[in-house]
Amino acid sequence: MAEKLFGYNGVILEINLTSGKVEKKPLSPDDARKFVGGRGLGMKILWDKLRKPGVNPLSPENPLIFMPGPFSGFPIPSSSRTCVITKSPHTSPLKSKYPYASTISYSNMGGFIGPEIRFAGYDGIVITGKANSPVYIVIDNDKVEIRDAKKFWGMGTDEFDRKFIEELKDRRFRTCYIGPAGENLVEYACIINTAARAAGRGGTGCVMGSKNLKAIAVRGTKIPPVADHKRFLQLLEEARNGFKGTPYTENWRRYGTASAIISSSDAGSQAVKNYREGTFLDADKIGGISAEQKIWIRDFACYCCPLACKKSGVVRTGPYAGLVHDGPEYETGTMMGANLLVSDLEGLMKEIYDVDDMGLDQISTGNVIGFLMEAYEKGYIDSNFLDGIDLKWGDVPAILKMVRKIAMREGIGDLASKGVKRLSERIGRDSSKFAIHVKGHELAAWNVHVSLTQGVCYATANRGACHLNGHNPRSQNLNAMNDSLGLCRFAQGGFRQGLIRELLSAITGLDWTEEEYLKAGERIFNLEKAFNYREGFRREDDTIPDRFFEEPLTVGSRKGAILNRDEFKKAMDNYYKERGWDLITTKPSSEKLKSLELEFVIKELK
Amino acid sequence: MDGRNKESKITIFNLVQAEHSRREFLKKTAIGSTAIILGSIFAKRVFAQRAERPTYSMILVDYNKCTGCRTCETVCSAFNNKVKIGEEELPGLGNPYYSNIRVYSFNPDVDIPVTCLMCGDNPCIEACPVEPDPKTGRKALYRDEKTLSIKNDLERCIGCGSCAEACRTKRIGVIIPNPQTGKPERMCTLCDGDPQCVKYCPYGALTHVTGRLDGKHYGFSIEEIANKLTKLWYYNEKNK
Repeated sequence: MAEKLFGYNGVILEINLTSGKVEKKPLSPDDARKFVGGRGLGMKILWDKLRKPGVNPLSPENPLIFMPGPFSGFPIPSSSRTCVITKSPHTSPLKSKYPYASTISYSNMGGFIGPEIRFAGYDGIVITGKANSPVYIVIDNDKVEIRDAKKFWGMGTDEFDRKFIEELKDRRFRTCYIGPAGENLVEYACIINTAARAAGRGGTGCVMGSKNLKAIAVRGTKIPPVADHKRFLQLLEEARNGFKGTPYTENWRRYGTASAIISSSDAGSQAVKNYREGTFLDADKIGGISAEQKIWIRDFACYCCPLACKKSGVVRTGPYAGLVHDGPEYETGTMMGANLLVSDLEGLMKEIYDVDDMGLDQISTGNVIGFLMEAYEKGYIDSNFLDGIDLKWGDVPAILKMVRKIAMREGIGDLASKGVKRLSERIGRDSSKFAIHVKGHELAAWNVHVSLTQGVCYATANRGACHLNGHNPRSQNLNAMNDSLGLCRFAQGGFRQGLIRELLSAITGLDWTEEEYLKAGERIFNLEKAFNYREGFRREDDTIPDRFFEEPLTVGSRKGAILNRDEFKKAMDNYYKERGWDLITTKPSSEKLKSLELEFVIKELK
Repeated sequence: MDGRNKESKITIFNLVQAEHSRREFLKKTAIGSTAIILGSIFAKRVFAQRAERPTYSMILVDYNKCTGCRTCETVCSAFNNKVKIGEEELPGLGNPYYSNIRVYSFNPDVDIPVTCLMCGDNPCIEACPVEPDPKTGRKALYRDEKTLSIKNDLERCIGCGSCAEACRTKRIGVIIPNPQTGKPERMCTLCDGDPQCVKYCPYGALTHVTGRLDGKHYGFSIEEIANKLTKLWYYNEKNK
């Protein structure tokens, strides 16, 4: 271990909440090189911790891993992200010999906590075990304390965000936490920071809740060493200049992701009416232009980000006047808006606020409620099934009631807290055709009818349906790397070709050629895949709902658009061939794994 | 005055006018907007008119443009904590903890970059109990004639914390005693005349202003500024 590790603190903090034991474990330089950080290194730690398939994701054994990357803590534009990695409490295969089989889960969030973890002297935090009663963790450089959080249990994330920082008595602590949904083990509960930014997808907040962990606070005074200081400063200067005064920057600043609410609707690629349609005729009422006029007050940025895509605003009219919150963004505005045919911008803001306050994933929540609305409209369920809620399209008060029921797992909310796959199993008939998920994980706000590769993207994502996965192996490998650096996806377009790799080389002192870079991304993706394969996921799990093959769009510029099953099958065949995976089982070949230095995986995949 | 209207400046100098003009705005839009513009012109004029005898040089924050990204913190920290690489002295990597400008966050979203206001009446220097040096007339804490920034003579400083206490109670609370020595830190150095925070702020929220300003600041604490901005942006009557 004499080897000096540049770009890393060289320490992973491990906290066992059952025993209260805190350990500072050395980071293996070999792992750092092969799995980089963030999503990749988190996956390697998960693999090492869970040595057998079928571990119950809500058992103390399942680690909850917070991973910044080698960019985190350095003032590289938009390097604010932290990836949370764990075994998913929300996904499941069609069949498996393990009752608790599920995929990996990763979800990343912006804000400030990723850099702060590195300032405190760590490259990641691994939490295992389960506390006897609610606790929170305070990490102040080397000092780690587990404190009683009983008085905060049950508190919504907005109030908690304020109360917690008062309790900590220093606004320079960076915090993240769960809401009531996570405490109540809603399968798609998220982890939130700054009252609005979330590691939204894949049930990270559910796993956190299962550990009785309300929150984490971090503060630090250190910074990891870089290998080539001078070169790093030069590249940093270039990276900063690349964002100055460009249309790219200006667009992000003005509308954030909300610009896509209208453009995606126009292109027929939006999730509308539980994915029945791709165009929302009222998109302009909830889109960026409307929000700019009626809601938004301020732009906010994550750590060292020149884009400031976070729009905080205030509701000025109607029953929710005075409500202050972020939004709408593309995902929140589409899933809680267009997908539910909500065209009331002020009501949409209230929905977004409540979903965040409860600590639910906006995407899965909007998807689940859309599914229930459709089942209700079709008469598959009645209002008794919904505890008396008249859950009609576009009805904001009814949606708010459902959100609360889901977060509290009260009545119908208990079943709904398990997602659309479980709901459709209970409701039966042909409801699985419009239960819009892959592997139990709900699709995000991008519809599939108009794009075959979007279907491949969702079908092959390792955490279950994921819009950020990538449309082909190459883009998936690149994205896996991006998520491993601590860099934000939205900023990628601001970097000159090759600059990200050059920065990584200057930081780590390793020569990150394009080939090595893509190979590392492929290695990460394959390790995730191997984990899922070991759990029992096979080709039949890599599919998308029938709706996209059977019911063409009926409105909008892409009216009539539909996917063809044969073409989809062909595209998937090509995908597996390109990946070097078996066409029937999807098992990664031993040669492929060997070429990726994943020999340790081979014997695990019988 | 719309919050996203970045044309109107909101600074420590016109915060009260901005608040006032917001109330006026409710009555008469035209008068309200004029007042806010006048507010910022007022601040500019104070500097401009007296620029011939500059005794004053500071970083002025426009709260309206700040997005809370903390680039200012990292570049301040990097420049003022240089590292030796081989033969060269280079900026550090910039942990924001060591920055002299510090951004404080509140919920609802308000971010307040706080840096030395270079107060004309120097409550920090006034509070310094160290006897003035007979030759230079300087206490341990003094205003540097060349840069016009507040400096501390580490040799003579006794680490009593009076300056930090004065800054905290009478002004904004920029000065923070070193946790080990108790000696004051975080006074703005103006980076040898080329303030890095101004140079690198991606949003143009910071400007370096020089001039002469008599009298004192409002003496708002960070919490008071946060309250005022929260009211101004989110909880004013126009929004209801």
